[in-house]
Amino acid sequence: VNTHGDRAGRPNLRTGMTAVAALLAVAAAGCASSHKAAGSSGTARASTVTIDLTPQGCAPRPARIPAGQVTFNVTNKNAGAVSEAELRTSDLEHILGEQENLTPGLSGAFTLNVQPGRYTISCPGASRPHSTLTVAGKATGPSWQSNAQLSAAVTGYSRYVDQNAAGLVARTQTFCQAVSHGDMSQAKLLYPQARVYYERIEPVAEIWGTLDTQIDGRWENPVTVASQFTGFHKLEQLIWENNTLAGAPQLCAGLVAHEQQLLKLVQTAQYNPLEMASGATDLINEAATSKISGEEERYSNTDLPVFQANVQGAMEVVALLQPYLQQQDSSLLSLIQRRDASVTKALSAYRSVPGYDGTGFVEYSTVLDSQRQQLAAQVNALAEAMSQISARVGP
Amino acid sequence: VTGPQARRRAPSRRQLLAGAGAVGAGAAAGGLAGYFTGAGAAASGDGDLGSQTIAFHGAHQAGIATPAQDRLAFGALNVAPGAGRADLRDLLREWTAAAARMTAGELVGEVSSAYAPPADTGEAVGSPVSRLTITLGYGPSLFDGRFGLAGRKPAALEPLPPLPNENLDPDFTGGDLCLQACSDDPLVAFHAVRNLARLGMGVVEHHWMELGFGRTSTTTTGQATPRNLLGFKDGTRNIRAEQAGLMNDYVWVAGESDQPWLRGGSFLVARKIRIFVENWDRDYLRDQQHVIGRAKVSGAPLSGGTEFTAPDFTARSADGQPAIPADAHIRLASHERNGGTRILRRGYSFTDGIDPQAGTLLGGLFFIAFMKHPAQFIRLQQALAGDALNEYIHHTGSAVFACPPGVRPGQRWGDDLFG
Repeated sequence: VNTHGDRAGRPNLRTGMTAVAALLAVAAAGCASSHKAAGSSGTARASTVTIDLTPQGCAPRPARIPAGQVTFNVTNKNAGAVSEAELRTSDLEHILGEQENLTPGLSGAFTLNVQPGRYTISCPGASRPHSTLTVAGKATGPSWQSNAQLSAAVTGYSRYVDQNAAGLVARTQTFCQAVSHGDMSQAKLLYPQARVYYERIEPVAEIWGTLDTQIDGRWENPVTVASQFTGFHKLEQLIWENNTLAGAPQLCAGLVAHEQQLLKLVQTAQYNPLEMASGATDLINEAATSKISGEEERYSNTDLPVFQANVQGAMEVVALLQPYLQQQDSSLLSLIQRRDASVTKALSAYRSVPGYDGTGFVEYSTVLDSQRQQLAAQVNALAEAMSQISARVGP
Repeated sequence: VTGPQARRRAPSRRQLLAGAGAVGAGAAAGGLAGYFTGAGAAASGDGDLGSQTIAFHGAHQAGIATPAQDRLAFGALNVAPGAGRADLRDLLREWTAAAARMTAGELVGEVSSAYAPPADTGEAVGSPVSRLTITLGYGPSLFDGRFGLAGRKPAALEPLPPLPNENLDPDFTGGDLCLQACSDDPLVAFHAVRNLARLGMGVVEHHWMELGFGRTSTTTTGQATPRNLLGFKDGTRNIRAEQAGLMNDYVWVAGESDQPWLRGGSFLVARKIRIFVENWDRDYLRDQQHVIGRAKVSGAPLSGGTEFTAPDFTARSADGQPAIPADAHIRLASHERNGGTRILRRGYSFTDGIDPQAGTLLGGLFFIAFMKHPAQFIRLQQALAGDALNEYIHHTGSAVFACPPGVRPGQRWGDDLFG
């Protein structure tokens, strides 16, 4: 996938994301499992470790490597009970990198910068699930990689993005079934359920700008050209504004295809703490602007569940960074937590069961301007605090 | 009384630029030597005003007796629902330091990391300080018990009663706190309110904000009388800061207040007054002059003389009618007609663009006045019930605030209030 080409043509969706997207995409380009010759920028000390998954275990070859960029090539030879290999800290506390879902016959890879020290290669299910990997030499690469808390946070975030991307595809497929059956009322219920998966990880999805536009583009974004208005919001317009499903199944199939591309891309993307922090702030900014104004879900008025999803996606980053922030700046952490609690409380005023279109919330058009202002004030306060994380986790 | 001082150098500015350069703003090299350099003064046509600072510390807050600057940014804020007494107190301390820095021509904070959002928003970098003042006020609602301040509420601090010719928009009325920033540079004034509000995010929330252009009052003897959007000189008979007796009698709160923390402070009344300028502009000149009671060009009272000649409210014109009509604005508002009542006016012209329904200009006078007791304004405004000008104006916003006295170096806003 030519992510560079995609980025070049990407309209600027949200200020501030461009830089993050560029950083992320560079990282992503260097670690795609299908591209063994990782285009890493500069470190001469790239090495390769081979891991074969067998019923007995997953001993790395070689077991001793120099510090630096390391690609772990993992192949499941014949281990029915084993499906993944993990690089863990020697105390097994933190997963630094992993390759999952390898059934017998499949192979995959992950690449990361490994600092000197002793590590464990784990393969749950094998008779000897832990093997030692020794990394020698001098530390290289960004310093966060030598911090177990930050490394674990990045790995955790990678997993979170993968899960939500997979959930996005699955939920959208369910939504599309209703669309194909011409079941308008069911489609209305399922649309917001699929949306929230995207809105939790939107900063990541925005790396691939064209995909973001194809999945989540609005009429005015990028070009107000009808033929390029596809994805969720076009379907939303058909269902709620035009009250028709004519042409919707085709659009839905296209949407799912784009989401599947996204899923594939995120499974090989790598992140770093700075991008996570910046993306979290961006999510809250997003809630404070396009959700508060109601412009994002302008046809369906289902802004409240996606507002909540933005906050969830951002607070997941905070949760992952919590052990680190607790040590580095506990007062910032508690400020963020207090302000998140305020947002949750403010949002709870609009909860409803089953709610508008089954969303668990009231219809957003019933929320008065003065109430939106209150909600915006809470979420802006959260964003302001969240914007201070980057300085704590930056290089 | 505060006065212009020599500009203070802020060497720390260089560090900011070094930081910015590292991020990639290479263009920062020569020209932007500081947030408030004197460099822009000559070009701005303000003479040397651009480089002047007004002392932040003093017996009274700056921005009251200070010679009125040309521009205003006025923010009314409410304390956020979740914030408590300690949050408010901390914020007032933080604001004190930030206001002292900004009025001295310094940034709110220096750039410390390429990976942190800059502490200062930065738009005023390179702008001359232009006599920036920042004045804090407390609204009646601040003393409602949320912050344990009910016992500190000045008896005089109450929302204004219903007054003639008003139809108040709640979106432009009231507020727990106010920040009045005045400067001869609009960017510098705006920057001050923006950054203070940013520092307060989570503790305070914007309630409303107004930008003023063009002072509409003279507050010192050295200033020429400006004009409001009616095209008339405004503030000819205003109190002047040099008139210490009048300032003490009518502007500064003293021992008569039930709250010692307020002594040396002043009450601020803000009124957003829409002027229906199109209607006014269609009125013939003689009638405009009768509405006001003065000649439009010279500013002289219709009883004769020059601008500063005292109006003679008993004078009659040739037809036997009062020279200054019975319903003329300056007659009804005069201290002679109101038991000597005076206030220090310090307002600005404003515009909010175009009335979305009528398609007419949405603007007028953002009236600000300082006084010893809000009753002074109430009396004068009630006297204006029959004002001929009422045909052309409408009060659409209103607020009253108690501005505490000035702070001495080492002291912070709120020390006495919370102490």
